[in-house]
Amino acid sequence: MTAASAPDWLLREEVGLCPCGCVGRRSRRGFVEKTLTGGADVVRQALFSEDISSRRGLLQSIEPRVKLLTMLALLIAAAFVRHVPVLLALYGATLVLAVCSSLRLSFFVRRVWLFVPLFTGLVVAPAALNLVTPGPIVVPLGTWFGHPVGLTRPGLEAAAVIVSRVALSISLVVLLTLTTPWNRLLAALRAVFVPRVFVQVLGMTYRYLFHLVTGVGEMYTARTARTVRRERGVVPGRAFVAATAGALFGKAHALSEEVHLAMVARGYTGSTRVLRPLRPRVVDAAWAAACLAVIITAVGVDHVFG
Amino acid sequence: MHIPDGYLSPQTCGAFGAAMVPVWAGAARRVRRVVRSRFVPLIAVGAAYCFLVMMFNVPIPDGTTAHAVGAVLVAVLLGPWAAVIAVSIALGIQALFFGDGGVLAFGVNCFNMAFVMPLVGYAVYRVSAGRVALTAPRRAVAAGIGGYVGLNAAALCAAIEFGVQPSLFHRADGTPLYAPFHLAQTIPAMALAHLTVAGAVELALTAGVIAYLQRANLPLLRINHRGIPDTDDGSAPTRTARRARGIAIGIAVMVVLTPLGLLAPGRAFGEAPRGGFWRHALLDGYGFGGGRNHVVGYVVSAAVGVVLIGAVVLATVALVRAGERRRVRAGEGARA
Repeated sequence: MTAASAPDWLLREEVGLCPCGCVGRRSRRGFVEKTLTGGADVVRQALFSEDISSRRGLLQSIEPRVKLLTMLALLIAAAFVRHVPVLLALYGATLVLAVCSSLRLSFFVRRVWLFVPLFTGLVVAPAALNLVTPGPIVVPLGTWFGHPVGLTRPGLEAAAVIVSRVALSISLVVLLTLTTPWNRLLAALRAVFVPRVFVQVLGMTYRYLFHLVTGVGEMYTARTARTVRRERGVVPGRAFVAATAGALFGKAHALSEEVHLAMVARGYTGSTRVLRPLRPRVVDAAWAAACLAVIITAVGVDHVFG
Repeated sequence: MHIPDGYLSPQTCGAFGAAMVPVWAGAARRVRRVVRSRFVPLIAVGAAYCFLVMMFNVPIPDGTTAHAVGAVLVAVLLGPWAAVIAVSIALGIQALFFGDGGVLAFGVNCFNMAFVMPLVGYAVYRVSAGRVALTAPRRAVAAGIGGYVGLNAAALCAAIEFGVQPSLFHRADGTPLYAPFHLAQTIPAMALAHLTVAGAVELALTAGVIAYLQRANLPLLRINHRGIPDTDDGSAPTRTARRARGIAIGIAVMVVLTPLGLLAPGRAFGEAPRGGFWRHALLDGYGFGGGRNHVVGYVVSAAVGVVLIGAVVLATVALVRAGERRRVRAGEGARA
């Protein structure tokens, strides 16, 4: 797996004359660098999750099946909640859980907010305008062809509900995945009636993903090593991407044949067995009861708000 | 197009999740019947490949990059039902381990990208490619078009799923509870992005990979193309025959479209008014039945005209060729 991490100099952004970008031109990263960074990120993220899930903490001590079912229940409850204060209270609870599970708060908040909730905010921002969601204007922005334009109360409320719900949902999923080793999480999927064969496929996919990421990284690194000047136009780049994807399919297919032969050689007949059945304990029951109480309270309070 | 949790109502997510269960079961049964014990490694590595295809950045004009979904590519390479499962597994890993796409919205994302996209794209590919040889350029173009159409079909589904939310799920005062935009806003927004940039990237990647495999690794294309010849043999239509078929189709389309001329007001510029010396034409005024059935009259007139002109041209060509043959024979007789 170490070969999959690209060298640092390759992932660093190209900097212009001044590191702050105040003078000179900061050149945009090309498709090679972006793909390499993406591959390295996948590996880094997976290694980091494994690292966190092996620490001692509240969520790490919960049995994976119980954790998966309770997190799913919380996700469904979050989807039904309609008021921002309730959603924010639940989000506050996820921050407490993150701290109790040995997660650095700044890292957790950054990981959750960095992309999707901020992106959601940008996407739903126009919905707050009276052109999309009619209602009393609370923030006037001017006029358009003689009509007043501004942010409406229902529009702002709708945007706030969606952004806070998205942030809460992502926080719950991040908490689940960061505090559970991936093989235990896969085994826990059986608790939500995912067929055994699909769990097996998921596990194998996750494992061979990193093997193939290594292959992609090597192909792109070789390409970078062969490139002596900046490419003009998109055609050579596209041809390289298509050739890489085609070659990768050849590698993937050969790999699947080898893996199949290895499985058959070890006595694989098509059925799957789980070695260590997981057993729920008292702490798991207490956790499930606490989650149930939170869900009932949240949905009840939300109902009271109307 | 990965819909995160929070955008769609739990009812929508539940309905699409329930709809996908029989699709997954049917797809697994079909693929298992063909590949048997190879099912697990083939689908697992196929799903890992899918995941990585979504990671490939494709350069686009303006110096930026975008990435493709690759569902139609996998459908062309491994078959549509294998693609349904492989893309679903890839989406599952993205949602569970990398936070890309929602866990509750998993069923919806699978419906769009793992069901609609590969099946629509593959159907378009099969129709466009026909039975041409594996190495024919038309096959790569057909795969690209399949990718383009499949992606846009998936985007349309996502736009509809977003667009129905404010009408179905809102508070008593009309405040939307989930995605706030209506169909009139979601469909143009998604169409603009996917008909232009995202669709072009999908087309370029799908066609590019198939073209590469045609050149470099034909056995991989044979996995899902049993019975298709590698190159054009005698049974395949020749280039001249294909060109003739293309011309015939073009003329047929023009014949069918001739009634569009009826939409134009007034008369054709410079055309003499009717009522000359000859009043016994079979299709007088490009019609029959005393001026009724204009549309049918136009089409029949066009067809008859094409056949007559074709017959005259063919007869002329036959006469010219017969004359040439006679001259050649006369020349050979004189030399002997």
